[in-house]
Amino acid sequence: MNPQAFLGRVRRNATPHTILSVVIIAFLLYVVVVPLAVMIKETFIVHPMERFQIPGTLPGDATLSHWKKTFTGSSAGAFFFKPLMNTLIMSISMSILAMLIGGILAWLVVRTDLPGKKFISNLAIVPYIMPSWTMSLAWITLFKNPRIGGSVGLFQYLTGITLPDWFSYGMFPIVITLAVHYFPFGFMLISSALENIDSQLEESAELLGAGRRLTLRRIVFPLVMPAILSTFLLTFSRGLGTFGTPSFLGGPVRLYVLSTLLHANLVGQRPGMAYLVALVMILMGSLILYMDTKLLGARKSYVTISGKGGKRGLVSLGKAKWPVTVLVMVFLVCVTFVPFGVLAIESLTLIPGDYSLSNLTLHYWIGPASTSIGLRTGEAGILRNTEILRALGNSLKVGLLTALVCGVLGMLIGYTVARMRGTRFASALDQLSFMPYLMPSIAFGSAFLALFSVPRGPVPSLYGTLALLVLACAVKYLPYSSRAGISAMMQIGPELEEAATMAGASWFKRISSIIFPLQKSSFFSGLLLPFISAMRELSLVVLLVTPGTQLATSITLKFTDRGWYPYTNAVMVLIVLTVLATTWISRKLMGTDLAKGIGG
Amino acid sequence: MKRTVRLSVSILMVVTLLMSLSVVGSAQTAENWNDIVKAATKEGKVVVYSTTSRIMAAAEAFQQRTGIKVEAHRLSETELIERVYREARAGIKSVDLVLIEDFPSMKELLVTPGYLVNYVPPSARKAVPESMHNPLVFAHVSRVVGYNSEKYKTAPFESIWDLTTPQWKGKVMIRDLALTGEHQNAFTELIRRSDELALDYEKRFGKKLQLREDNAGLEFLRRLSENDIIIMTSDTRIAEAVGKKGQEDPPVGFFYVYSKHRDAEAKNLAIKAAVDLKPFAGYYYDMYLQLSSNPANPNAAKLFADYLMSLEGFTPWSSDIGIYASNGAIEHHPQDMPWEWWESRLWTYDPDFAIQNRGIVLDTWIRSVSK
Repeated sequence: MNPQAFLGRVRRNATPHTILSVVIIAFLLYVVVVPLAVMIKETFIVHPMERFQIPGTLPGDATLSHWKKTFTGSSAGAFFFKPLMNTLIMSISMSILAMLIGGILAWLVVRTDLPGKKFISNLAIVPYIMPSWTMSLAWITLFKNPRIGGSVGLFQYLTGITLPDWFSYGMFPIVITLAVHYFPFGFMLISSALENIDSQLEESAELLGAGRRLTLRRIVFPLVMPAILSTFLLTFSRGLGTFGTPSFLGGPVRLYVLSTLLHANLVGQRPGMAYLVALVMILMGSLILYMDTKLLGARKSYVTISGKGGKRGLVSLGKAKWPVTVLVMVFLVCVTFVPFGVLAIESLTLIPGDYSLSNLTLHYWIGPASTSIGLRTGEAGILRNTEILRALGNSLKVGLLTALVCGVLGMLIGYTVARMRGTRFASALDQLSFMPYLMPSIAFGSAFLALFSVPRGPVPSLYGTLALLVLACAVKYLPYSSRAGISAMMQIGPELEEAATMAGASWFKRISSIIFPLQKSSFFSGLLLPFISAMRELSLVVLLVTPGTQLATSITLKFTDRGWYPYTNAVMVLIVLTVLATTWISRKLMGTDLAKGIGG
Repeated sequence: MKRTVRLSVSILMVVTLLMSLSVVGSAQTAENWNDIVKAATKEGKVVVYSTTSRIMAAAEAFQQRTGIKVEAHRLSETELIERVYREARAGIKSVDLVLIEDFPSMKELLVTPGYLVNYVPPSARKAVPESMHNPLVFAHVSRVVGYNSEKYKTAPFESIWDLTTPQWKGKVMIRDLALTGEHQNAFTELIRRSDELALDYEKRFGKKLQLREDNAGLEFLRRLSENDIIIMTSDTRIAEAVGKKGQEDPPVGFFYVYSKHRDAEAKNLAIKAAVDLKPFAGYYYDMYLQLSSNPANPNAAKLFADYLMSLEGFTPWSSDIGIYASNGAIEHHPQDMPWEWWESRLWTYDPDFAIQNRGIVLDTWIRSVSK
């Protein structure tokens, strides 16, 4: 191509969205590739506190000792392999459990005559909206045994039975609570896959004399299999990077997973080993991304087979209808109202572990700072505690800014990908913007820590600023809104815009008067999920917050560490209420739909 | 005669010179100090990170006295060092003054690179013995081994080795060493004094200590951890768990700050420290006062430092047991023992030895505890 033709092509393509997309690609490369390089470098140098462990070295010298210690040394089991095994066991079992719960629920809601479907669908998303370790806090409150001292759990209070350690702490409760948090994920993905199945396929099978089981096995399963596997992989990758739950429930019985090990190594001033762990986690995440794109491709080809189906015939549950309904309801109540209620009640008890009426109090909500009432903490109730209120304010700011950044970028990416469909540029943008999705959260946080802890050339150090938190959240959640954006923009044909162009409308005019109004609800859906995620995020930000930039979630760690659960629980109740209210209001006002942003 | 005169004249001259010098010196500091006070008032604000929560009370009192606003943050020891380190590396001017623990980390991460500087304010110059001037010691803090005094009238163990026996399996609580730099330092002292430790084992059990680790210190750490030790996240929780009344089989608190006993009565806890435990009853460490080398409010920091080192400034702490001022003029708490009494019972650590060996301690800990 001669230069003139090239310039001409550049000029033709240099619309605001392409320019912006080039910027976005460059930026994504910077925040994904550069931290990797920095982290790799950190694993090969001696850090200030390590110079005596690696005799004869000075900080900054090159060394292989972190690699040796982590992978081949006599303690490699404790430093890497045991936590790795625990992580795998944890992530695999909880993903399977979450997938089973989500899949069964999805099938019941989409394909059977189960009553109260709308209510069930709404309720089934709630656990996912709550911060992931809400369940583990509720678990501790319910099933605490005397091992870690303090008051006993509600269960022991009521029954007098002391629960064994394996039930109260460690792998068992971690798997259960994480599965309960992540099953909505599978529910949403598998529901939408089931909805896309042409019911004629099932009807034909029936006509040909296949029984219900055979139809399920030979037709429904193969069709939703990609969605099921995809659910598994996505849930698995979430489990990999989660920090709160294994930290709360694993700590008392000394169970380490990669995320808690990474945290302990960073806090213990062993950045070399910490970044090694982070790199392994990122590698695992990338592998999953690779496998998922393979499966996603497979799913797409399945979906195209099925045209638009007619009115769907529902499977009758027959006699099992009411028992199943009751079972589903009880389960959903147990994973939504119960944990929330437990936390709310616990935040209202003056002396934890005493559930009598006389012990009810609003002290931890609106009480004064006191060293003589209740837990004698010297901390004011959360609604008049300046530190906590500032953290709540920070959370709202980070949530709103993240949502705005994600929403706008997501739409632009969507627009670009849709308009340039089929080009290599579009698919690069598509894939790059999806990459942060599968980066284990805490590893991603540590990468940002590595990248922004010192000024690099023209890029200032953002450590200690809210901007860093917004940036980390925005990049991490961009996939939600870029997916929503892409699927929304694909639905708008180019004709409308072409007509507008003919009429002389500028790019901004076209976006604001045609594209945006058409896809308003998708746009707000793309805002909602990043907002919710930022509000409830812990794993991603735990390494990045500072005293001045505490968030509502991270500040609760301080209280949990000291055993001041009522404060933690009160803050959690507030977070959950905020998130639920936002979801509800935006659905009423903007018609947003959470499921739109997840998984595509 | 002539010679004597000349000699006395020269002596006189020297003395006069010295006196004038010292007059000039004191005048200069006094003048400077006034400037500092003025400048501090102008700055109107000081930011402090501290590992003790009592800083809040001191901050309030200082604010009332001087009108200078104190923004105080209470952080855990590792968190504090991490923050100062990262903020300094990022070039952020956020903190002016710190009350900090964990000498090795402080030295390696913050003092050697020049992020923190030592400063001895006027109130500490005479009152604090010179051996504690660099770095300036704010106070000594003691950590002890404690038991439930409702269940046990006297300490149910004589030697720290008892806690590694099946009787105390799953009963000993300790703060996570990985998150507690001072614990790592204290255990280096167990390595350094391995012989004493091994001797104590022999005395207690009448047989020689069998080593699986390099020395008796690490062997103790390993046996203690492998005895299903319970890792806790805070000393407050340890004290509460140990001292809670009405327990059948209460746990033992290992190395928690003695100051937690201050709330025993108010919280209705039955808790006592095993003060005659062999070969040591616990350990103590120093808390230091240091200034940021890149402060936003350098003068207010000095003024607040001066206040904290004074009799009045220490008030929030002097009402506590378990913390002992470096300022000799400050009396210990009436219900506590004098510092010398504690000093003879507690171990502390050798700073250089600790810097070199705490990595091994942490490795051994992680290796022995992780499941």
